[in-house]
Amino acid sequence: MLAKQSKLYMSTRYARAVWIGLAGLSSCQWVEYSPNQTYLPVAERAQTARNLARLRETASPSTDTVRFVFIGDTQRFYDETERFVQSVNQQRGIDFVFVAGDISDFGLTREFRWVHQRLQQLRVPYLTVVGNHDLVGNGRAIYQAMYGPLNYTFRYQGTQFVCLDTNGREYGFNGRVPDVDWLHTQLQDTVGTRRSVVISHVPPMDEDFDSTLVAPYTAAVRQYGPRLALHLSAHVHRFTAGQPYHDGITYLTTYSLAKHRYHIITLWGKRQFRLETVQYGPQA
Amino acid sequence: MIQRIVVAAALAAAPLLTSAAQELATAPPDTTGQVRTALAQQPAPLPWYRPRHAVVQTGGGIGMVAAGVGYGLWRDRAELDVLVGYVPKKHAGSTLSIATAKLMFSPYLIPIKERWQLRPLTVGVYYSYTHGTINDEEPGQYTKGYYWFSTDTRIGPLLGSRITYARDPSPRGRARNISFYYELGTNDLYILSYAQNRRGLSPVDILTLSLGLKADF
Repeated sequence: MLAKQSKLYMSTRYARAVWIGLAGLSSCQWVEYSPNQTYLPVAERAQTARNLARLRETASPSTDTVRFVFIGDTQRFYDETERFVQSVNQQRGIDFVFVAGDISDFGLTREFRWVHQRLQQLRVPYLTVVGNHDLVGNGRAIYQAMYGPLNYTFRYQGTQFVCLDTNGREYGFNGRVPDVDWLHTQLQDTVGTRRSVVISHVPPMDEDFDSTLVAPYTAAVRQYGPRLALHLSAHVHRFTAGQPYHDGITYLTTYSLAKHRYHIITLWGKRQFRLETVQYGPQA
Repeated sequence: MIQRIVVAAALAAAPLLTSAAQELATAPPDTTGQVRTALAQQPAPLPWYRPRHAVVQTGGGIGMVAAGVGYGLWRDRAELDVLVGYVPKKHAGSTLSIATAKLMFSPYLIPIKERWQLRPLTVGVYYSYTHGTINDEEPGQYTKGYYWFSTDTRIGPLLGSRITYARDPSPRGRARNISFYYELGTNDLYILSYAQNRRGLSPVDILTLSLGLKADF
C-alpha cells in the first residue's frame, strides 16, 4: 500500500514536472523541424535593413569621416564573440561594426541566432556580408532571412560600401559568383559618394574565389581605382595587406574572432585611411 | 547505404541491452487489456519483419511531421523506429525530406492504473539523413576534408518519457496500445558547439524537443 502510494506520488510529481517543462518549451522554440530550417522570430529577421536604418539615424552631415570596426569569421566562437562585444562597446567614436562573413560554421539557424544574439549587444549597428560557411546546407536561405540580400550597397558619410558574395566554390564555380556586372553597376553609381569600399568574404587571391572571374573582378575594382579606398575581406583568419595586382588597390584581410584582435578602419578625404589593431582578452 | 548499416548495428546491439533490461525492470504485469488477450486466445505469431507499431511525431530536427513504423525488441523494452520526415519549403528555404532511424530503450514500466502505463525514462540515439538542402555538396565541389562535417547526416542522443493506454485488443487478439511520448534531443554539431563554448552556451541552448504518438497494429 505504502509502496503504491509513493509510486503514485512519484508519478503525479513527474507528470507535473513534465507539464511545466512542456509549457516552457514551446516558448523556447525547442521544437525544431530541422537544424537547416530557416524559421526565425520576426524580431530577428531583416537585420541588414534594420541596422542600416539605425545607422542613418546617427549619420552626421558635417563630417565625411567614417570609423568602423572590421572583423570576420565569428563561426563557432560564441565565448569569443561575447568578449569581442565587451571590447568594442568600450571603444568611442565607432560608427558601426562590419562582420565580413562566416557568421556561422555549419550554416544552421541556431548558429546564426547565437551569433546575432551576441552581436545585438553591440552599442552600434552591425552589418555583414555572406561567407562560404554561411552557404552550407540551407545557409543561403537562412542568411537571406536573418540579414537580407547577398549583394547590397549602402552609403554612409560620403562612403559607398559595396558588399558582395564572392564564395564561388559554394556554387560549384558556376562563373556567376561574384556577380561582376552588378559590381560594375554599383561602382559606376557615384552619386553622393566621395569614395568606395568593396567588402567580400573570400578575397580574389584565394583558391575559393572562382578563378575564371579573378581577372574581370579585379579589373572592375581597378577601373574605379581613383576613388576606391580599400578592398576588404576575411576568410583567411589573419591580417594581410598589400597590392597583389600592382594596380594601386590595397587588398586587406582581417582576423577571425578566435585571434582576439580586430581592426578599426578610419576613412576620410579621397582615399585616405588609417588602420588600427585592437587586441583584447587572452592571447590566441 | 549508411542507414542500412545503422539499422544493422542497432539490431546487432539489441541483445546486449536485453539482459540489462531484465535486471532493471521488475517486470510488472502487462496492462489489463493484454491480460484479457492472454486469457482469450494466443494470437498467431507475426513474421519478424512485420512492423509492430506505427509512429508519428513533430520536432526533434527530423521533420515538421515525421511518420514511420517500428519494431519492439525484448518484450518492448526497446524499440527501433524508422521514420520519414517532411519540412515544407516555407519553413526551410527548400523542401526537406529526412530519413531517420531511432533506437530507444525503456528500462522501467510503471503501471499507473487500469490500462495506463508509464515509461518514465527512455534513452536512445537517432541517425538522420536530410535530402533536399539547397547546397548539397556536389561531387568535386570541395577538396577532400574541406568541410570536415556532413551537412546532411546528423546523429544525436535522445531522452524522454512515454505514457501508454491499452485499448481493447483486436478481434485477432493483437495489442492495440496507444502511446504518447516526448523526447529531448540534440545533435553532433550542437554538442560540439556547446563543448567549445561552455561559457557562452548552456545545455538548454542545444536542446530539441519532439512530441509523438505510437500505435500498435
